[in-house]
Amino acid sequence: MSKKFDRAAAIVFILIGVVFVAESRRIADTAYGSVVGPDIFPMILGGVLALLGLRLLMETFRYPDQLEKKERPDVKRFAVILAATILYGALLETLGYILSTFLFLVVAFQTMERGSWGKTFLISGAFSVGVYGLFVMVLEGTLPGLPFWLSG
Amino acid sequence: METLAYLLKGFQTALEWHNLLFAFVGVLIGTAVGVLPGIGPMSGVALLIPLTATMTAGAQPEEAAASAIILLAGVYYGAMYGGSTTSILLNTPGESSSVVTTLDGYQLARQGRAGAALAIAAIGSFVAGVVSLVGLVFLARPLSDLALSFGPADYFSLMVLGLCAVSGLAGKSMTKALIMTVMGLLLSTIGMDNVSGVARFTYDIPVLYQGLEFLTVAVGLFAMGEVFRAILERERGESPVGRIGKVMPTRQELGQSAMPIMRGSLLGFLIGVLPGAGATLASFFAYVLEKKWSKHPEKFGRGAIEGVAAPESANNGASGGAMIPLLTLGIPGSGTTAILMGALIMYNIQPGPLLFSEHPQVAWGLIASMFIGNVMLLVLNMPLVKLFAKIIETPPKYLLPLIIAISVFGVYAVQVNIFDVFLLIVCGVIGYVLSRNDFPLAPLVLGLVLGPMIENNMRRALTASNGDWTVFVAKPMSLCFLLVAVLWITVVLWRKRSRGKGEVSVKF
Repeated sequence: MSKKFDRAAAIVFILIGVVFVAESRRIADTAYGSVVGPDIFPMILGGVLALLGLRLLMETFRYPDQLEKKERPDVKRFAVILAATILYGALLETLGYILSTFLFLVVAFQTMERGSWGKTFLISGAFSVGVYGLFVMVLEGTLPGLPFWLSG
Repeated sequence: METLAYLLKGFQTALEWHNLLFAFVGVLIGTAVGVLPGIGPMSGVALLIPLTATMTAGAQPEEAAASAIILLAGVYYGAMYGGSTTSILLNTPGESSSVVTTLDGYQLARQGRAGAALAIAAIGSFVAGVVSLVGLVFLARPLSDLALSFGPADYFSLMVLGLCAVSGLAGKSMTKALIMTVMGLLLSTIGMDNVSGVARFTYDIPVLYQGLEFLTVAVGLFAMGEVFRAILERERGESPVGRIGKVMPTRQELGQSAMPIMRGSLLGFLIGVLPGAGATLASFFAYVLEKKWSKHPEKFGRGAIEGVAAPESANNGASGGAMIPLLTLGIPGSGTTAILMGALIMYNIQPGPLLFSEHPQVAWGLIASMFIGNVMLLVLNMPLVKLFAKIIETPPKYLLPLIIAISVFGVYAVQVNIFDVFLLIVCGVIGYVLSRNDFPLAPLVLGLVLGPMIENNMRRALTASNGDWTVFVAKPMSLCFLLVAVLWITVVLWRKRSRGKGEVSVKF
């Protein structure tokens, strides 16, 4: 529970609340034959959120900052895996399911722990081909197949 | 009598071979999910929704929903049970409701009696499952009949009460829990308004017209968030894996646990019915109560079998009890039941008072399958407990990337949209950051699921009253719910203030 985070989060929530109120006012009141339009609910909630954010902000001035000695998070490993996941999502439709999943898993396994390449390739290959096969052939779902320059 | 006939029909549905298979797969995966440290029942159920969606693709809508919910409910109570395995063997609770099980369970394991502790946990879970089944059978119809007399204003107030109850008990700070609830409600307004057809907060982005997909948000917040946490904070229980030894409990151990199991089941069930309280509170109360009643309270914490029997029965009883408000009122009392409700809505089935008359096959099939699932759990777990214990040793270096891959696959397979994959990743990061700073996530999902219903009922009530806001306090039932909601919040606030902060902290 860091005070700094709570304070920043409180301000973000206040802003989100204000934005929702402001944007709700722009929604055209076209609910025909009804006195309550589509704008009321989000507008009230936006207001409530802003108030709650304010309360959280006030609370952060009341409690003492807890000095916590958590071990340093492994940011580097996380950053690599997060980047790999984002790339995986971005390339999923271009490279096709099997290839992109295989690449993602190889990168992620090796980031978690170096070495044992044989096992890495085996598990990545088995998972990507297995899921694709099961889903597309057996359950007849759709997943992007191989890229055109491979499927010939 | 009519109820019994319905129940029999339910058993017919649940005993169809494919539904038996679904229940079996559900409890099996559920137990595995519970055993794996890091994935709790919430992420487990969320992860499996896409799988069930594809598995049931060809069937009739009604049958598909029945099968899917049977599997997902199996995962739910399977995970509840599996969580105890790690508590006992590793001193690491698989999910929060098994925290108290570690106190005596691990001590028993160190004395070489892990097998007996696991068996008692399985038996306790089974008894609790039966107790909550009986409760469901008797309470389901009267409650849904009562709920049928509710008007929109009553419903609105009841849902407000449900949200307040959950926010009051979730997490350390009430303010944070309420913020998450309101955030969930706000997110639910994104997309096409289903009353007027006006697009709200979409900014001409086509994917937003459908609104944020509940499944994506849930999988992102829970499953991905957990994986990110595990990657960032390398943690591994240092405690050595306990030896299982003989699985069958002795007659003496059975005798000692019989009453604690009964008390735990009943208490768990009653707590489970209340919205917001949930399994964690139930297991905690059951443990405290058992210690108070015991003639040898000093044995607790040093390997008392009663200290495993009572809380394990209570948490399963609570998960059965939590089904009652979900099925009869359409109001989920916990994060996991909110996800189950989201799954039902995906199948176009609205949980609530009409469920029993409109979709008896789904409702009673589910109730009957809970019984069958509990039998399966008992039969499965006694011989297979050693096998499940092996799952604990799955190296996280393979497990964590695979969970990411499964999440991406699940979300993409159902939505067929890259936007949802990115939303999933964003939700994962947000989920990690928020939960690390004590913002509870369950209220957000609850708000997201209940949002459209609260809004519709509010607008219907206001339309009927011509925009007069006093309608919510003019109706006696509605006024009653609102008063209880206010009372609930004040009591929790007051208790937190008088006891100092952080005392009433319950996670789901």
